[in-house]
Amino acid sequence: MTAEIATIHIEPTADELAEGRRLRRRKRLTNLAIDVFLVIVSLLMLLPLVFLVANAFKTPAEMLAWPPTIIPRDPTIANFSAVLGETPLIRWIGNSLAFAVLSTIAIVATSAIAGYVFGKFRFGTMNVLFALFLATAIVPFEVYMIPLYFQAKSLGILNSVWGLLLGYLVMSFGIFLIRQNVIHSIPDELLEAARIDGAGEFWIFLHIVLPLLRGALGALAVLAFFQAWTAFAWPMIVATTRTSYTIEVGLALFQTGFTVDLGRLSAASATVLVPSILLFVILRRNFVQGVASTGLKE
Amino acid sequence: MASVEIQNVRKAYGDFETIKGVSVDVPDGAFVVLVGPSGCGKSTLLRMIAGLEEITGGTIRIGGRVINDVEPKNRDIAMVFQNYALYPHMTIAENMGFSLRLAKKSKEEIASRVADAARILGLTDYLQRYPKQLSGGQRQRVAMGRAIVRNPKVFLFDEPLSNLDAKLRVQMRAELKDIHARIRTTTVYVTHDQIEAMTMADRIVVMRDGIVEQVGAPLELYDKPANTFVASFIGSPSMNFLSTKVSQDRTSVATENGIKLPLGSEASAAPGTAVIYGIRPEHLTIAASGEGIPVTVTNIEPTGSETFVQGVVDGQKISAQLRERLFIKTGDVLNLTLVPANGHLFDAATGVRL
Repeated sequence: MTAEIATIHIEPTADELAEGRRLRRRKRLTNLAIDVFLVIVSLLMLLPLVFLVANAFKTPAEMLAWPPTIIPRDPTIANFSAVLGETPLIRWIGNSLAFAVLSTIAIVATSAIAGYVFGKFRFGTMNVLFALFLATAIVPFEVYMIPLYFQAKSLGILNSVWGLLLGYLVMSFGIFLIRQNVIHSIPDELLEAARIDGAGEFWIFLHIVLPLLRGALGALAVLAFFQAWTAFAWPMIVATTRTSYTIEVGLALFQTGFTVDLGRLSAASATVLVPSILLFVILRRNFVQGVASTGLKE
Repeated sequence: MASVEIQNVRKAYGDFETIKGVSVDVPDGAFVVLVGPSGCGKSTLLRMIAGLEEITGGTIRIGGRVINDVEPKNRDIAMVFQNYALYPHMTIAENMGFSLRLAKKSKEEIASRVADAARILGLTDYLQRYPKQLSGGQRQRVAMGRAIVRNPKVFLFDEPLSNLDAKLRVQMRAELKDIHARIRTTTVYVTHDQIEAMTMADRIVVMRDGIVEQVGAPLELYDKPANTFVASFIGSPSMNFLSTKVSQDRTSVATENGIKLPLGSEASAAPGTAVIYGIRPEHLTIAASGEGIPVTVTNIEPTGSETFVQGVVDGQKISAQLRERLFIKTGDVLNLTLVPANGHLFDAATGVRL
């Protein structure tokens, strides 16, 4: 019986074959169209960056030439040597890096603790506190920037990385993000099981909660890093000496004179891109991954 | 191993009382099932034994020691949760050895105790995997393993099988029973499924709205339910209830239009008293034509092995589980009979067994 069934084989008709070919071709064409579209969009997004890097290697004459060249005819590193020689660019990058890294550490730490507490210990006073935290997110930074400046001044931490950090230790969005993640991906039973098994609260936080929040904390770290890396207004007012500038402030100085030195600005900007791109490449997986699997029956 | 004594325990959230004075004795080594509809307080009671909920009033003793204010970790209990609560970032071996690691046992001891538990549960091949790589039944076993490894005084189960599919549930039911038979640890098991309660328990505690309705061995509850709630909750399909009045000679009851239902023994209620007559669907059989209770059939469900018939007698709903294959259709009148001793009488007002 099974043998009979196995031998039954119906030849497709010519029409059916043609129909199959037509559908396959249409699918291929659709995919091709999608690819072409995406390539164009990504080219449009990449082009400014490509020109930025290209310009950094161009002579002043070539920079103004029309049509613009993508690969410089006469590449020069004069812009880089000028930027690195005449401005403390490396120092600025160092300042930014220290500021961004410390700010990231502070934000990740405070958000993890506060987010966990707000997510799992939900009684009356906690909800009020959380509402207050959220409320601070509504107030624009520029509103309390000046009072904060006077605080930094009286603390005597102007022109230092500590002064820069003052406004970047806690991120209300980060607390919110972690709280939502805790509520969504850490069930109460997990904590209760650990409590019955004999774990203390801090141990639970360290060995159960933190590993499960890895994805969210990674994403938050990237956000926090770039928030500090690209910060402008606050570093602008806190850092007033040439050696204490962050890279954002330093770059802005290229434009403040009577002329804009495009070559040097490009060279400086291209140099600044390097750490950002590196960090993104390293943390990309975390950034995209988001939430870790909860290991419970879905 | 230890007994669990729950004495007049109460739980209140503000003014709202969810557990209204519950007393249950769980003897050493017993398998006690707390059963009841959702919201009856059975899970809360279990969580109070575990120490995850505060006790508003009364006392709970484990092994003779009052544990009202003892931290969960010092109660020497293990709990298995409905969603298993496995740590997703740890391997099965790490999950099972978790409590031992916290108790600062040596690596060798942890490994050997985890290996023992894994052997009992058939998990030896999975020790290096992660929870998400396991099926529901396997995860359930890991959760069991985590409890067994600790060798606690008491096991607490909070609806451990309700996330499994029907077939696996039957299988795990037998496995749990088998494990209990081997290690004989005092067990308190919460479920809303009366079949689980009937098949696994030494003793069942039926709860409703924060009070205990009845405590007893499974068949005791089935044969002598204390009230209409227990009668309808235990047994599937549910017991039939007919409102009737006691006859003059008290040997039978009758429905409004005079359909007589004989009693096994003389009713204790006075003649003419309104009572509820209960009869289980499986205790109804087909009568010789012209005799018995005439039931107008409204629905027929043949399952192959038996036929489940729903109908109406004297305006009241009744159902019967019959062994025969019936060739009838809705609207037909089916005559059913019963053994008088299988009937139950309940007070019409309070629902209490008479």
